Amino acid sequence: MRIRKVLVAATALAVSAALLAGCSATSDSGATTGTLKFVNDKTWDFKAFSKVSDKDIDIALDPSTYADQNAFVAFVKQSLRTSKAPGLFTWHTGGQLEELVDQKLVADTSSIWKKEVAAGNVAASVQDLYTIDGKQYCTPISVDDWVMYYDKRTFAKYNLTAPKTWDEMMQVAATLKQNGVDPFWSSGGNPWAFVWFQIILAGTDLKLYQDLSTGKASYTDPKVVKVMDVWLDMQKKGYFSDPGSKTAGETQMKDGKLAMIPFGTWYASSLEKVGLKEGTDWGVFTIPAIVDQGSTPVAIETAPACTTENSSQKAMALKYSEWWMGAEAQTAWSKQQGNLPFNPKAQAATQTFRDLSAELAEPDKYEFYLRYYEATPTPILTSALDQFTGFMTNPGDPTKYLEGIQSTAKSYWAKQK
Amino acid sequence: MKDRSSTNYQRSAWAFMGPGVAVVVIVLYLPVVYTVYLSFTEYGGLGSPIFAGGQNYVTMFADPAFLGSVVNTGIWVVGTLVIPVGIGLFIAYLSFGLKGAGILRIPFLIPYALSGVAVGVVFSFVLQNGGALSQALAFFNLPGADTRWLAEAPLNTIVMIIAASWQGIGVNALLFTVGLQSIPKEPLEAARIDGASGLRLFTTMIWPLLRPSTTIVVGLSIVNSLKTFDIVQAMTQGGPNRVSETLGVTMYKDTFVNSDYGLGSAVAVFLSVITIAASVIYLRRQLTIGTGSGTPAEVTK
Repeated sequence: MRIRKVLVAATALAVSAALLAGCSATSDSGATTGTLKFVNDKTWDFKAFSKVSDKDIDIALDPSTYADQNAFVAFVKQSLRTSKAPGLFTWHTGGQLEELVDQKLVADTSSIWKKEVAAGNVAASVQDLYTIDGKQYCTPISVDDWVMYYDKRTFAKYNLTAPKTWDEMMQVAATLKQNGVDPFWSSGGNPWAFVWFQIILAGTDLKLYQDLSTGKASYTDPKVVKVMDVWLDMQKKGYFSDPGSKTAGETQMKDGKLAMIPFGTWYASSLEKVGLKEGTDWGVFTIPAIVDQGSTPVAIETAPACTTENSSQKAMALKYSEWWMGAEAQTAWSKQQGNLPFNPKAQAATQTFRDLSAELAEPDKYEFYLRYYEATPTPILTSALDQFTGFMTNPGDPTKYLEGIQSTAKSYWAKQK
Repeated sequence: MKDRSSTNYQRSAWAFMGPGVAVVVIVLYLPVVYTVYLSFTEYGGLGSPIFAGGQNYVTMFADPAFLGSVVNTGIWVVGTLVIPVGIGLFIAYLSFGLKGAGILRIPFLIPYALSGVAVGVVFSFVLQNGGALSQALAFFNLPGADTRWLAEAPLNTIVMIIAASWQGIGVNALLFTVGLQSIPKEPLEAARIDGASGLRLFTTMIWPLLRPSTTIVVGLSIVNSLKTFDIVQAMTQGGPNRVSETLGVTMYKDTFVNSDYGLGSAVAVFLSVITIAASVIYLRRQLTIGTGSGTPAEVTK
C-alpha cells in the first residue's frame, strides 16, 4: 500500500516539477562567445552570415525561422518569460515593441546607441525609432527605404523612362495598361494590404498620415475619403495586379506581366532570387509625391534584433547587436542581402543602391516617415488590413471600410487616455 | 484475506489510473478551465489577465465578423451534410454488390490520405483569380471564367465546402459500404420476393437498416464541420475582410492575430458549447430511437 502511495506522490511531484521547470527563468551566464540562439521571422540566410560573425567575434548564430507571422509572434510572447527564451530575436518597432518594453522583457540598449550614434555609425533619426520613454531597446539589422522597383525590360519595350512626378507615373501606368501589362503590384491581406493607402496618403498629406497614426485624425475625415477615391480611381482604371493572386510579385515581374513593385530596399534579394539582374533587368526610382509638400515623403522601416532581458545569453546577444551595427558587419550584411546599409561607413553592394543612397542623402529633398505597419497601433492595423483587403476585392464606395477602421481606432484611443 | 476486499481493489485501481488521470486533467481539463477563465478577462498575451466580466461576450455578439462566422459555420454544417454525406451514400449504394467495386471506390478514398492543409493549398491554386479553373473555363469558352471564386461571400464558403467534400466523400462512402455489408440478407430477400425494388426497397428497407452507420457518419460530419479550420485557413485565411471565416478561424484570428486572448477564448467557449450541444442532442435522439421502437417514454415502460 505504502509503496503505491509513494509511487503516486512521486509521479505527482515529477509532473509538477516538470511544469515548474518550464516556467522558470534563468539568469545571464555572462558568456560572450559561443553559439547564440536567434529566433526570427525573416527568410534571410542567417547561417551564411553566422560564418562572418564566427570569424570576427567568435559568436555563431543558431537561427530558427518562423515562416508564419502569427505563430512567430505567439511563440515569442510565450517564450520570453521562460528558459526557452532565445538570446536574440527579430521584432518590429512601434507599438509592438512598446508592448514588450511595458512588460520589461527586452534589454536596454541605450549605451550601445550612445556609442554608435557618436561614432557616426547610425543616424540619430533611426535612433528615434528605437526610443521608448527616453531609452533605447533593440538594435537595427537593417533600415530600409521604400522605393518603386521597375522592370527595365518592360519599360524599354514601350519606350518608357522612370517617372519623376505622380502625373508622369500615371501616364506610364496608362501606357502599360494599354499594352496588357499590370502597372502596379498590389496584394490584400496581412501584411501588404496597407501599401497603397500609405503611398497615396503620405504622398498627399504627410501631416494627416502622422495624425492618423497618433489618433489625432479620424479615418472618416473627408481628406482620408479623398485619398481612398484616388486609390479607387486607380483600381477602376485597372492599374493594379490581382490583390488575391498567390503568385509572388517578383515572379509576375519576371514573366513580364507586371511592371512596378513598391517595396523596401530589402526586396532586392527577392528579385535576384528569381533571376532578375540589378541594373539590366530592374532598377528603382523614388516614389513621387501627389501633392507638392516641399520635400518628397519616403517611407522607412527597420528590422530590429532584440535581446531578451531574462536570457542566459544576454551578454552575448548584446555584444552581437553592437557588432551588427558596425561598418564591417554592415558591409558584409549588405553584400549578402544586396540591400542598402544604414551605416554610412559601409558600402552598398550594388550600383543601383549606391546611386539611390546618394540621391536620398541630398539635403531637404526627402522626408522620411515610419511605414504604416509599424506606425499604426496593432489593433487598428489588423482592422485596417482587413478593411483595405475588402476595399481591394470589391472596389466601391470607401465609406463603410473607413467606418470599420474608425470604430476600432475610436475604442483603441479611448482606452489610451 | 482481508486484503482481497473490494475497497482494496478500488485503491489499487486508482494507483494504476492515477498517473493517467493526472495527465488527462493537466493536458485536457485544466486548459479548458483556463480558457473559460480567460474568456472573462482582458489579456494580450503578455503580463497578467485582467478580469473583465462578460465584456468579451458582449463584444463577441456585437461583432459583425463573429456573426458572419456563425452564418458561415452554419453553411458548413448543412453543406457537408448534403454533399459529402449525400454523395458518399450514393456512391456506396451504387457500387454495393458490383463486381470490382473495391477498385472503383479507391479513387474516392485517395484524397482522404491528404491533410486538409494540402487540399486547401491545391484548391487555392485551382480557384484563385486566373487560376487553373478560370483558365480551363476560358479555354473551352465556357461562362464563369471571370468568377472570383474565393473573393465573394458566400461563394467562397461554398467552393471551400466542395473542396472539403472532394476529400471527405471517400471515407463516408467507405463507412456506408461497411454499413451496407452488415445489413442481414434475409429481410432484403423477403422484401424482394414481396416485390420491392429500386427506390422503394431503398427507402423502406435499406435506409432504416442503415441507421447505425448513418448516425455515426452524420454525427462525425456535424462535429467536423463545426470545427472547420485547416482548409479555410489554407485557402482564404477567412478573408477577404473576414467574410469566409468559420468559428475556428475567428477564434484563431482573435487570439493570435489580434492578440485578444479574452475574446478568442470567448469564441472558443461558444464553439465548444455549440459542438457539445449539437452532438448530445443529435446522438441522444438517434440512440434513443435505435434502442427501442418508439419514444423514450415507451422505452422506460
